[in-house]
Amino acid sequence: MSDVINTKRSKKQALGPYGRVGKSLDELDDRLGLARGGRTFMDKIFPDHWSFMLGEIALYSFVILLVTGVFLTLYFIPSSAIVIYHGSYKPLDGQKMTQAFASTVNLSFAVRGGLLMRQMHHWACDIFVGAIVIHMARVFFTGAFRKPRELNWIVGSTLLILAIVNGFLGYSLPDDLVSGTGIRIAYSIILSIPLVGTYVAFWVFGGNFPGTSIIPRFFILHCLIVPLIIIGLVSAHLFLLVRQKHTQFPGRGRTETNVVGSPMFPVFMAKTTGFLFIVGGITALLGAFAQVNPIWQFGPYDAARISYAVQPDWYMGFLDGALRIWPSWSFHSWGHTIPFEVLIPAVVLPGLIFNFVFVWPMIERKFTKDNAIHNLLDRPSNVPVRTAVGVTMLSFLGMLFIASSTDVLAKFFNLSLNTVLVAMRYLTIIVPILAYPITYRICHEIQALHGGGRRKTPNVVARSSEGEYTATPSPRYVDDVPSHLAPTPVPDYIHEEPEESGESGVRVVDR
Amino acid sequence: MTSPFFKRCAALSIVGLFAFGPVLLFVGGAQASYKLTPYQTTRKNAGTPNSTTVKKNADGVIIAYGNSSITYRAPSSALVTLGDALFQQNCASCHGSQANGVPANGTSGAFPDLVGLGPATINFWIDSGRMPAANPRAIEANRRVPRLTHDQALAVSAWVNSLAPGFPLIPYPHLKNANVADGAALFALNCASCHTIEGDGDALAMSTFSPSLRKIPSIEVAEAIRTGPANMPRFTGNLSDAQVNDIVKYVTTEIQHPNNPGGFGLGGLGPVAEGFVGLAFGVGVLALFGFWVGERDD
Amino acid sequence: MTDEHRTPVSLSGLPANDPHLQPAARNPELVERVISVCFVVGTLCLAGFGACYWIDAQPWKLGATLGGGLLFLGIGIVAWGKYLMPRGPFVEERHTLANSEADRQAFAAAIVERGGGVVQRRKILGGLLGGGMGIFTIVAMFPLLRSLGPLPKTTLQHTDWRSGSYVVDQSGRRVEVGDLAVGSIETVFPEGTQNTDRGQAVDQTVLIRVSNEAFTTMKGRETWAPHGYVAYSKVCTHLGCPVGLYEQELQLLVCPCHQSMFNVTNGAVPQFGPAPRPLPQLPLYVDSSGFLRSQSDYHEAVGPGFWERS
Repeated sequence: MSDVINTKRSKKQALGPYGRVGKSLDELDDRLGLARGGRTFMDKIFPDHWSFMLGEIALYSFVILLVTGVFLTLYFIPSSAIVIYHGSYKPLDGQKMTQAFASTVNLSFAVRGGLLMRQMHHWACDIFVGAIVIHMARVFFTGAFRKPRELNWIVGSTLLILAIVNGFLGYSLPDDLVSGTGIRIAYSIILSIPLVGTYVAFWVFGGNFPGTSIIPRFFILHCLIVPLIIIGLVSAHLFLLVRQKHTQFPGRGRTETNVVGSPMFPVFMAKTTGFLFIVGGITALLGAFAQVNPIWQFGPYDAARISYAVQPDWYMGFLDGALRIWPSWSFHSWGHTIPFEVLIPAVVLPGLIFNFVFVWPMIERKFTKDNAIHNLLDRPSNVPVRTAVGVTMLSFLGMLFIASSTDVLAKFFNLSLNTVLVAMRYLTIIVPILAYPITYRICHEIQALHGGGRRKTPNVVARSSEGEYTATPSPRYVDDVPSHLAPTPVPDYIHEEPEESGESGVRVVDR
Repeated sequence: MTSPFFKRCAALSIVGLFAFGPVLLFVGGAQASYKLTPYQTTRKNAGTPNSTTVKKNADGVIIAYGNSSITYRAPSSALVTLGDALFQQNCASCHGSQANGVPANGTSGAFPDLVGLGPATINFWIDSGRMPAANPRAIEANRRVPRLTHDQALAVSAWVNSLAPGFPLIPYPHLKNANVADGAALFALNCASCHTIEGDGDALAMSTFSPSLRKIPSIEVAEAIRTGPANMPRFTGNLSDAQVNDIVKYVTTEIQHPNNPGGFGLGGLGPVAEGFVGLAFGVGVLALFGFWVGERDD
Repeated sequence: MTDEHRTPVSLSGLPANDPHLQPAARNPELVERVISVCFVVGTLCLAGFGACYWIDAQPWKLGATLGGGLLFLGIGIVAWGKYLMPRGPFVEERHTLANSEADRQAFAAAIVERGGGVVQRRKILGGLLGGGMGIFTIVAMFPLLRSLGPLPKTTLQHTDWRSGSYVVDQSGRRVEVGDLAVGSIETVFPEGTQNTDRGQAVDQTVLIRVSNEAFTTMKGRETWAPHGYVAYSKVCTHLGCPVGLYEQELQLLVCPCHQSMFNVTNGAVPQFGPAPRPLPQLPLYVDSSGFLRSQSDYHEAVGPGFWERS
């Protein structure tokens, strides 16, 4: 019998119950030992709540940034050498500009697909930072940063700072009039640091402003150094997430010691891959239909030129707003100047804000004296103090952000610019102070409502023949089965025919 | 100052100025004395009769001057009577029947003296619809649909100019000879700081504002540059006629007809609009998709 | 990631008709048809992207086809996972991350006793090495900092304006006294610097003609503004933006960045906004040929504040 091994059936049998694929996996296991780890990985459960998708928006827009960014690096020339432009955009023809600007104009007009890639890259960055912010807000308001996830919170907060910094570096690379003004402001902010400001500014810029070193240095930072750090931290972020498993909202069948949701393979992978495509698709549609950063209209940077209505990109807006509304407090005595009107809004304030964000898990632990492990999330209305603090901080940052568009507000609402600015000075203090008690009260109101903040279950109203009405809760759909199912472990195998014994099949395999 | 001798000297000098003033200007003789009226500069080709071709009428009054970049022409003197009638009807109630204006008094601001301001100034204010003023008390007159037609505006300028001839005359730029790239560079240096680099205008100090340049005809652009209306500074000797012509061409082509190859221009508001679109349409739409992909609590 | 013990593992199975394994959609065939339409549309869009790329179509067409294609494919894949795949819900136990007390003690003992033993016995070596590493970290910073650029010294205290510098515009043309009308403004530089980075960044000056007569802004500046020509540094004292916005009726120089407003008639003192100091004024004079020239450099450092600014 063992001689006859040439038939198709016997060859098939020789491969084992899982065919060619199983055989290949066996070969891999021989070399890498990944059968058990692989199975565990694929069985990993991801909770399904929609608010857990916000971090994925950030992750996938970062992927888009990497892909489009690589395209851009093939054509962008990070040099401040002066060239004369002779290309298809007539209003710049014959003008002197840096090679960085000229190569960006070239990218926009002469490289096939270049403008689309540039715009996708810029929109992906705006979406990246925005998604990080709302993802952080979700993590904050649901208390997902608590033990054991404080480290992940710190990693994530660092990622926010790096994303903002890299965005600033990136939009400054084309060396156009609008972003060049931002670089001038950055130089002056560095200058304002007491004792060492002038030294640091001269070292970062290679001399006085503007110099010829800053664009190449920004390029290396933006394309190599910061993305490497971001990739490392994102990997750490995801590793911690997988190792500690995702948090989940309390609900049917969910405890502090389990995770309920979809398995990694195939359900979660399908959803997340699809979401990657959706993020890419929306970014591409934005890149197609919404013009962003039209540097050819701005012209090359010239330190004597300026445009009105120059705001930085939105994620830097809180800094610009703080600089606008801050009073002109400058300390000048004993032969030295400390420009507090620059130092406080641009250095001290962001430092305080980010430090507060970093140490918040420790602060909360100290005040609530809660050192337990938490894998179940809070509903924000159930933790009024934390929610109110978060809303206060967000409204403060929001007011600073609005303060950066005082001139646009004055234009749209036909007000005096001076009035708008003075109003913003008061509002930036009043609105966050008001936000705290209002949010606190709203949270308590929601708690007091029966079933507040939850979906209402429909009631089926029936009338008996005597005329009595009864209302019984009913599922949303008559055949809404999933809400009735108890969670079950991921099966290792699926068998087609049911066992005669009626027991669920258990196979013991010696390893 | 009221003695007959002095009065005669004054009269003689005024007559002399009218007779010899244009000649002095023609030879660029302002070097001898620095007492120039606001529109006279020593720089050639700068909105003054220093330009290469000067045309005078039978009485020796300059009616046109210019070069290959801009030709400045006075409105036809045949329009003077029509202009008088229009002025009395539309303007005299504030500016006085002899266009001498009314000085500021108490809480009421001044209605300016229009005599000697030159036809370009008068024509600009009327042609852009700012005058007759919708709200004489407003700090800055808004551009509106003009109440008078082009010819009527020219007529009024002709009449005011007949009271006391002034400069500059009405500029007619020759855009075919302009270089749009030079115009872009000049615009960025001189104009963008008020009108924004996209030319959309914005709110400035107090309640003043710089208007949008998106719908302004080329003559008005040149008039505004040369005469500096309201809070706008005037550019006389600091920009040659060729440079003004370049700026006019840049404004009327690139600013007013931008080819936005990247899609919708988002109102030219720059990063403020971009942030709004990115957050609302980018993050917002993606969060909605996330709402669909994920589950809700029961 | 999992325990490394090699113990027998029990495999659990589910029958194929278990409700957990059924698709979530109530009408899977209809959903499958919708998803196939999404896939077809998406693929066609992506093919269209390729075609648009081939013919060098406008950017919006490239983006629309790419975006539509990715979006439809993505929606299809998500719908497949959400509606057609096993609906679950599935559960997995969390294993406590913390190890047993014995493990923790062994770990701590390994570090403290082994490490402590090493260092305690050789205290001198430990101390010397510590000192060496400290010095190393300090000097390792030096290439990162000092090689980047020069020392500031007094570079920020001076501009290139000197006694007798001709005032020129950006094209290099010297400004004559009859050039500007009252109410005009021009950006000027000392002759020779108008095309250099330093000239534009540091020396840039706004020249405004406020009247036909000599104009005194403040005491001690009686000769600084001949024939109404007044010159201020264009570098804002707040953060260095060029203050190019001149409102001639309000007589204000407004900085476009953060809207500091400087009063032109009294030495550019800031009337509003975050700027802390007036714009430095450049002393001018008119030479015998009628050209405008500077009497000297600015009497103070221009631009934003810094520590050494006295």
